[in-house]
Amino acid sequence: MDFYLGLAQVIGIHTLLGLSAWCVLHTGQVSIAQGGFFAIGAYVAGMLTSMWGWPLGLALLAGAILSGIVAVAVGFPALRIKGLMLVVATTAFAEIVRLVFFNLTWRVQTPAGLVGPDGSLGFGGIRYFPGNGWSMLEISFLIWFLVAFVMLFLGWLDRSRVGTLWRAVGEDELAAQSAGINLTAAKVSAFGVGGCIAGLAGGVFAHYATHIEHNNFGILLATFAIAYPIIGGLSSLAGTLLAVIFIQGILLEGLRFLGDWRSLLFGALIVVVMLVRPSGFLRRSLGESFGRTKHA
Amino acid sequence: MDFLYFLDLSQSIIDGVLFGAIYSLIGIGFTLIFGVMHKINLSYAAASIGAAYLSLLVVSAVPAPLVYVAAAMMGGLLGWLVYLICFRFLPLDNPLASLMSTVGMLLAIEELISHVTRGMPLNFPALFASTNIELGPYFIRGDLLFVFVLGCIAMVALMQLLKRTRLGLATRAVAQQPVAAQLCGMSVNATNASTFVIAGLLGGTAGAMAGAAIGVLSPLMTLPLTVKGLVVTVIGGLGSIPGAIVAGLIVGGVENLFQFLRGVSERDIYVMLMLFVFLVFRPGGLFAAPGGRD
Amino acid sequence: MTRGQQLVGATLAATIALTFSSAAFAQEKTFKIYGFGAKSGVVGIFGQQSEVAMQAAAAMINKTGGVTLGDGSKAKLVVEYLDDRCTAEEGINALRRIAAQNDAVVAIGPTCSNVAEPVFGVLQKKVGDASDSGLQFPLYTDVAAKGGLAAMSQWAFRNVPSEANMYKSIFEWVKSTRPDLQSFWGGVEKDFAHSNATFNVIKTQAGNTGLQVLGQSEWLLNDINFSNQVREMKRANADLVAISAHPFTTCGVLKEMARQNVKPKMLIGLTSSSSMETLQGCAAQAEGLIIPTSFAPVTDEARNAAAAVQALNPKYNMDLHNAAAFENIFTLKELIEKQKIMGRPDTVQADRQKMRDGLAAMKQTTGLLGKVGRTDDREAIKPFLFVQAKGGNWTVAHTPAQ
Repeated sequence: MDFYLGLAQVIGIHTLLGLSAWCVLHTGQVSIAQGGFFAIGAYVAGMLTSMWGWPLGLALLAGAILSGIVAVAVGFPALRIKGLMLVVATTAFAEIVRLVFFNLTWRVQTPAGLVGPDGSLGFGGIRYFPGNGWSMLEISFLIWFLVAFVMLFLGWLDRSRVGTLWRAVGEDELAAQSAGINLTAAKVSAFGVGGCIAGLAGGVFAHYATHIEHNNFGILLATFAIAYPIIGGLSSLAGTLLAVIFIQGILLEGLRFLGDWRSLLFGALIVVVMLVRPSGFLRRSLGESFGRTKHA
Repeated sequence: MDFLYFLDLSQSIIDGVLFGAIYSLIGIGFTLIFGVMHKINLSYAAASIGAAYLSLLVVSAVPAPLVYVAAAMMGGLLGWLVYLICFRFLPLDNPLASLMSTVGMLLAIEELISHVTRGMPLNFPALFASTNIELGPYFIRGDLLFVFVLGCIAMVALMQLLKRTRLGLATRAVAQQPVAAQLCGMSVNATNASTFVIAGLLGGTAGAMAGAAIGVLSPLMTLPLTVKGLVVTVIGGLGSIPGAIVAGLIVGGVENLFQFLRGVSERDIYVMLMLFVFLVFRPGGLFAAPGGRD
Repeated sequence: MTRGQQLVGATLAATIALTFSSAAFAQEKTFKIYGFGAKSGVVGIFGQQSEVAMQAAAAMINKTGGVTLGDGSKAKLVVEYLDDRCTAEEGINALRRIAAQNDAVVAIGPTCSNVAEPVFGVLQKKVGDASDSGLQFPLYTDVAAKGGLAAMSQWAFRNVPSEANMYKSIFEWVKSTRPDLQSFWGGVEKDFAHSNATFNVIKTQAGNTGLQVLGQSEWLLNDINFSNQVREMKRANADLVAISAHPFTTCGVLKEMARQNVKPKMLIGLTSSSSMETLQGCAAQAEGLIIPTSFAPVTDEARNAAAAVQALNPKYNMDLHNAAAFENIFTLKELIEKQKIMGRPDTVQADRQKMRDGLAAMKQTTGLLGKVGRTDDREAIKPFLFVQAKGGNWTVAHTPAQ
């Protein structure tokens, strides 16, 4: 049972990461920066609970808010660039964040000894969950509560005016601008919300793994982040969840019996999925599938 | 600051610029594909290293220069395969799907290399490995100079190809107006495929050069080359081949310069910051591409 | 449904079915020892070699009748090895998956130090601490060697060489046999935790024996240009150069040193690089490189073990990493018998506790090169020797008094 709960936790964390990328992709921006916000959330939340004994909720919130602020700061210059240039710029940003944490050494004396990020040696001892006796079930509930909250929030956002603005900007920027939509507000808000969610995901990840280091937050993680909404289908939130379950649950854990071939098939299967279904698993949002039409 | 310090500083820059020729070759490949298809092929650097690995199949039978030719040809073949698998059958108006597809390809190639070689770094034949040209107090590595010259030849050859041949004409036509080109009887698929093959030839050469410059091949090389290649493409200007060459040399030189000044832990931060500076002050890149559809 | 949807649906259904299928029932009584580590990816060779070594050891034990369980019955040892791809998440997943099996009493692994830290972190820190909800499962590590990790949890035990001891010994040997070497220059792979941590040890020990530490060159794990670093090395012109890096960058640096004509009087390397990979990549340039290691085929047991691995699968050999995995299987077999482990599904948690207590109580284990001591920190004090790269092979340079 614990194994499945552990798997559920990983799927939850990755779903949050995928949802953060969904926000940004929705406005037509391909951003590899989600890994950077994930890292910021992870380090900030991890440091707050293990070095200064903050309660988990406040630490996660602080991590999310800080990531959101950085995301807004990144979102403004990102307005000027589109397409491949944005991909490269956000990749560069994510690498800078990773390198900053690679160089970060800040340890404090706690009752448990010297704790804190130690440059390339990593940041261990984030034992909030086991140290405070959280059971696997409780941790899974927390993570999935957060996932549900974020999905409901994004679903509400999608159906509100903000969502319409995002979709308009995502479909055709020129037309949106001609219709009087404030491009800046739409793009920067998408970046900000995406950054917050990624920071939240990162904070949870740090507590799940108990030890983080800069190598955890490389380009590959950011690529996974955008893979989930793309494979899941951009018009649907549930699609992202489905894609995470597919990749983490089925491809990574389910194919264990294949041994060495699992990693080989991983990349190949992604290619196959894109060939068979280029617009993602779910083409319409869940609401639409159940008969409700999208409001204009 | 004494004479030795400045000597080392300038030698660093020279070494970096020569090494940057490899980045230039990769950048040309990225920019060529983007210029023609307006899509990114993230698996390009991985395919280039893969081509270098494939050329090792003949290393015991042929002399070193032919190994490089083999790498180039394998690169062309891999390029065509990537086109077939990741681009040919995907709808043109869905850039995200082909992006993801190339990501999958990147993972698959890297994993295949690790699987076949069991992660062991493999020896790669180096041309002019022990040649060191002395220019006053400076040492210029013969093999890096060779790569540099090769890159220049590649650029010239590519420019000639694009400007003087029918294939080049078709490539430019398809890049600017695919529908009109089709109406003129050009096959969009065949042209795009040949673009990938040409980019692949360059990539295979780049992979072989990278392997020769370090002396060993390892799957660890794919990701950094991908990132550097993308940075070079953007700084040089999307779709501009001279831009990619110049940008590659600049990135190589700056990288080594910052490493000398600030050490290896902070080096890449400065390279990325330089990218941001370019994006803010010159978003079109060094040589903004001549009008296209964008 | 379109053909594409049918295909995807069928694949999904098939994989889901296979995911949840249970293991086949064995004909005779078996006792499973699990392992986990990196079996694919760039460092996949470590996990693959560990698995083969564990299987070779198990085969040897089974040939003499297998292991005797707590109820007196005999069982054959079976090895199952999971791949964690050297990432923290998969390492934790793999461990949880193993812990969820009701035939899992102990596991050998992981191979990557950056997986060991998070994995040890999710274990219960102190035995009997009811407020700690960490996993209660004993681990006996074979490869992950970054210093001091077993201290993280009372359920974590390691059989890896102590790099502090080995490098202290090698520098003392250098001081006594080569008093002409006065100065030291280091090279370190800065972004890999293990290389970085070991380098700190190397530098300290070098300084302690009186070598003048002139400085160090740094590079990253997948760097491809070492001209700056080697030029610094050349300028310093130190007598002894120590390189704390894995085979890929070690070879890159050695080749650059050859190019720039940098020839220190002595070259010392990182323990992990005393394997075939370094010689595959740059045997010519590595000539003379001395590395302290915990395995070489110098005793009968070591030679037999190496032969057993080659016989099982000629693609693999025995090196210091999977020698530990081999030793672990034998140690665990003794513990199963000593602690009277029952090996039944209903005794699983009790068996794990007994195994942990048994591992903690060990004062000494039998290694392939001699007796291996145990520390209070649940680490090992392994016999070691110094090997040198000569003509494309690792030969023994010196066997220090232990």
